[in-house]
Amino acid sequence: MKESLMDVICCPLDKSTLELDVDEADDEEVLAGTLTCTECGETYPIEDGIPNLLPPDMREKAAA
Amino acid sequence: MTDDGDEGDGSDERGGGDDTERDDLAARRGLDDVTVYQPAEDSGLLAEAAVAEAHGRVLEVGTGSGWVAAQVASERDLDVIGSDLNPHAARQARERGVEAVVADLLSPFRADAFDAVCFNPPYLPTDPDNEWDDWMEHALSGGESGRELIEPFLADVGHVLAPDGVVLLLVSSLTGYEEVLDLIDAAGFAADPVVEESFPFETLTVLALRRA
Repeated sequence: MKESLMDVICCPLDKSTLELDVDEADDEEVLAGTLTCTECGETYPIEDGIPNLLPPDMREKAAA
Repeated sequence: MTDDGDEGDGSDERGGGDDTERDDLAARRGLDDVTVYQPAEDSGLLAEAAVAEAHGRVLEVGTGSGWVAAQVASERDLDVIGSDLNPHAARQARERGVEAVVADLLSPFRADAFDAVCFNPPYLPTDPDNEWDDWMEHALSGGESGRELIEPFLADVGHVLAPDGVVLLLVSSLTGYEEVLDLIDAAGFAADPVVEESFPFETLTVLALRRA
């Protein structure tokens, strides 16, 4: 994901601002990291450049 | 959802099929292709309408393979984000160069974030006793009414749409055209048809929705 995506995304649970922690990035994009809700503290993973912004219960179901 | 054949034989993946056939297909094409809806006539119509009507920052909900989002990005040189519930789809969209997000409809997007929102919803009415419960079902089935995804989408889309924004929604006659128009009206939008095409079993229309 590009860092500009931060302008349009929010926590799916309470619509609060997300904070980006970058684990791996190239010149253009964040490839791995974590998005954390500044309000409820829920975390959302970024893997292979794709943030998974499903609410936690749906994320587990989708992984099955 | 008629298959146009040039992007793979989607029809084989549609209703259940038998498992052996599916496994063969999976082995041949890789898991992502079997579990992600591939472009068909409906995709072509939505792309045509979106290329004509979209402006500014664009979101495609249920982007699937990312084909429509990529068309809009390349034809109009716009920033397009593709979201899908299906992680396999998000991966395919990203491989196509689309900025991809795994999301449930509009839930992780901010107020007024987009100037255009495109959606080709899963719209086939499906008997609840006959659902096949896999990714392809999620891509095709609109529940018993065919409108189970259209309803929450229309209820929320006004939130993420900028004041002068436009929604491009594909509607099939199988889903109930008049019923969808009523939902659009209830959500506070006025609808104009942008493109329409008839096929043997359905008529597909892309509506441009703007705040009434």
